[in-house]
Amino acid sequence: MTDLLTVDGLKVHFFTQSGVAPAVDGIDFAIRPRETLGLVGESGSGKTMASLAVLRLVPPPARIVGGSLHFQGRDLLALDNAAMRGLRGSSIAMIFQNPAFSLNPILTIGAQLIEILRWHEHLSHAAARDRAAELLRLVGIADPVHRMRQFPHELSGGMKQRICIARALLCNPALILADEPTTNLDVTIQAQILDLLEDLRERLHMAMLLVSHDMGLVARMAHRITVVYAGRTCETADVRTIFHAPLHPYTRALLDSAPRIDRDYEHQAHPTLRTIAGRIPDLAAPPSGCRFHPRCPEATADCARLRPEPVQVAPGHIVSCLLRGSPGVPDVGVPGLGVSP
Amino acid sequence: MLGLILIALVVVVAIVGPWLAPYTPNDQSAMLSFAAHGAPSWAHPFGTDRNGYDVLTRVIYGAPTALAVGLGAMLVASLIGILVGGVAGYLGGLADELLMRLTEFFLVIPVFVMILAVVRLFGVVVVGTWLESVPFLNLSTIVLLLGIFGWPPIARLARAEFLRLKGMDFVEAARCIGAQPRDILFRHILPNALPSLAVVIALGIGGAILAESMISFLGFGDPKAISWGQLLYFNYQVLRVSPWAVLAPGTAIFITVLGFNLLADGLSDAFNPRLKQ
Repeated sequence: MTDLLTVDGLKVHFFTQSGVAPAVDGIDFAIRPRETLGLVGESGSGKTMASLAVLRLVPPPARIVGGSLHFQGRDLLALDNAAMRGLRGSSIAMIFQNPAFSLNPILTIGAQLIEILRWHEHLSHAAARDRAAELLRLVGIADPVHRMRQFPHELSGGMKQRICIARALLCNPALILADEPTTNLDVTIQAQILDLLEDLRERLHMAMLLVSHDMGLVARMAHRITVVYAGRTCETADVRTIFHAPLHPYTRALLDSAPRIDRDYEHQAHPTLRTIAGRIPDLAAPPSGCRFHPRCPEATADCARLRPEPVQVAPGHIVSCLLRGSPGVPDVGVPGLGVSP
Repeated sequence: MLGLILIALVVVVAIVGPWLAPYTPNDQSAMLSFAAHGAPSWAHPFGTDRNGYDVLTRVIYGAPTALAVGLGAMLVASLIGILVGGVAGYLGGLADELLMRLTEFFLVIPVFVMILAVVRLFGVVVVGTWLESVPFLNLSTIVLLLGIFGWPPIARLARAEFLRLKGMDFVEAARCIGAQPRDILFRHILPNALPSLAVVIALGIGGAILAESMISFLGFGDPKAISWGQLLYFNYQVLRVSPWAVLAPGTAIFITVLGFNLLADGLSDAFNPRLKQ
């Protein structure tokens, strides 16, 4: 099966006055048609930047400085701006973290949905309105004609996220980028929205990149998982392997620090919830070698010196760790670090 | 609310003025019957001034001038201000830096002296050219100058608003949907910036009217246009003989400027979500 989207060695650096911060410094992942890939990492691990980079919309002062992005066989980094605009929304759509802020407060829901169809599909106003209403019904909004005349502030958070989902689906995209789609919603609404997303992805034959820090959510939704840490990929495998046979020390630590309902933390074997010692590194001055080595329980002297290259340890299971067989290359640091643009 | 009422009053007077005024504005016939400096009476409700003009008529005809000056100057200022501030805020970086320094440059120019000098020089330069026959040339110059020197506050606010809005999620979302920069600017950012800009513009209208009155009061106004400041200029020397000739236009200026300031206050309260409920 050929991949829908391939991201290879993606690098997004922030060019600030105090120097260059490599927020994303070599992330690789691939999404196959109709699958959900979970992109998991802590805050600041570069997962949101990576998803924005797919749309080539990293906010300044960040820039994509390296790597390659291929979507449906096309090199995204080689497209001109007009072609890229044509792709955004119609082939690749995005769902944001905070539905409250991702709708224009002074335009009606209908106006916001209809304008997209008119840009991308050149539909007439009436046809666009009918299509928008149909999509709203699809995402579970009962009275679409009435809702389309309302403004965002008249709707609840869950309703707004449904509308954002409808907006993302308007032009039948092949890929949906969902950046923590349920983080700002109530727990009950979260479940509804997740069910909705899963159902729609299945019915509309879409692929989804699910960006999240929530292992539980990813376990439920994703087919495969890519774990990132401090701007680099640690491990990619199918969901079963990640949860049952994780190889990378960071993946293990991440799983250990997620509370589990089947463990009794007050007695017996697991007295407390384990945490990962230390803090996520300052991206303006990342550690040399493996980014995780200062916090890694298994770190050796080589880990501070050599940068692990991804290696396939089993079919579909890719790990970047020197202790798991990754070849190490001497880490030359970030080119241009400390130099103002 | 009071602001709106006051402004509505001025606007209504400006529109129906020609039918309302008891005399034609250039009627000086009171001079012939020794009725200049006449106290208010049934024939002249606000009295007559030293030139024999009916004060009420002149005050009524001053309203459209004042509104034209205020709106015209702020139209020019808004166009420049939103363009400069919007570009600076949206593009950021070097463009922002350069445009904001330009704004500050315009902010430190002593506007009043500048306008007086330009108006006087321009009045001399146009003599003998076709420009001389342009109606209300002097007044248009004043309006244009007030606009050209009045934009910095609007530009500063526009920059702040564009800077704030361009980082908002819905603008980012619009970009992710493939919106053109034109749609992002004019459909998503500008309309959301307008409420706060409206406050500054309303304040500016009052300011421009006041500035034009001051220019006319100093005798630099348009001699052909009837303005309240000009009435003050004609009559301030006879304040003790016929105070009504000065009080009436003074009050008119006061009401109009107060109206726009109250409107600006009201707008800023109405747009402030924290004051709602």
